[in-house]
Amino acid sequence: MDTGLKMKKRQFFAGWEVTPKDIALIGMMIAVIEVCKRALDFLPNVELVTFWVIMFTLFLGKKAVYGVIGFVLIEGLVFGFHVWWIMYLYIWPALVVITLIFRKNESALFWAIISGLFGFLFGAAGSIPYIFIGTMDGGLGNGFYTAFSWWITGIPWDFIHGIANFVIMLVLYMPIRKVMKMMQ
Amino acid sequence: METKKTSNKKVVLGLIALVAVIAVLGIAYAVFGPKTTEGAKAITIEVIDNEQKSEVYELNTDAEYLRQALEEAKAVGLTVTGTESEYGLTIITVNGVTADFNVDSAYWSITVNGEYGMLGADSQPVTDGDEFQLVYTVY
Repeated sequence: MDTGLKMKKRQFFAGWEVTPKDIALIGMMIAVIEVCKRALDFLPNVELVTFWVIMFTLFLGKKAVYGVIGFVLIEGLVFGFHVWWIMYLYIWPALVVITLIFRKNESALFWAIISGLFGFLFGAAGSIPYIFIGTMDGGLGNGFYTAFSWWITGIPWDFIHGIANFVIMLVLYMPIRKVMKMMQ
Repeated sequence: METKKTSNKKVVLGLIALVAVIAVLGIAYAVFGPKTTEGAKAITIEVIDNEQKSEVYELNTDAEYLRQALEEAKAVGLTVTGTESEYGLTIITVNGVTADFNVDSAYWSITVNGEYGMLGADSQPVTDGDEFQLVYTVY
């Protein structure tokens, strides 16, 4: 195996162990995300989950994925394991991965763009389970049609999501990042 | 310095991506999104008056029953008035032409797709492609 690849593999598998401090921090991460999500539930598609997942990933690194798993499980237990829950299974961990890729970036505008893009593309990414549901109902063509229709119908909501995500990150990135750095 | 440059490049690329995504979403919604300006059912209402003169009104409507469609057709120039009874609207005057059964044994009959209508305007369902006629009829 190539040495670079070996190193990357080693890097990926290392650092997953959880210390008591991590458990406390991950618990706090889940609590903060849940509280903020509930507090803003009355405003459809305006949420702080994206913001906190990005911020906690910058703070905790890849261990933030534990917090995301916890959050997704709680969401399922509270609201039921419906189609959107399947989407949550990959969409939030994907945000952790995206954040890890760009974690060296410190620009508020850059993270606002990532956060905004995530909001704008949330519907498109979330339509994937409908390909399978539609396919079971009437073949692959129907699957793609179902997912496409679902995505198109939700575009106005994706706009709200994307704009809100962009603004929230632009406003809150600097103060929260500063506090988190102080804690580190 | 080098890092700063790379960071700026990423921001610019990100902004371009953001604008592109917004454009794609906007175009996709404009082309494939639901069109809500028109009613889902296309119908025609033809009026044949006491001089056998015909006037046809085309209408896109979401009306469930003919009564509502007749009211919506005001927008395209059709005026229908009448009296209320336990069976709903009894049509008396259409486009200013009055059919009074007590005076000259005349009434406005309704035909639905060429068939004599069995229901009043309030209970006559409207389906896509329906052709209604309001005919001045003498008994």
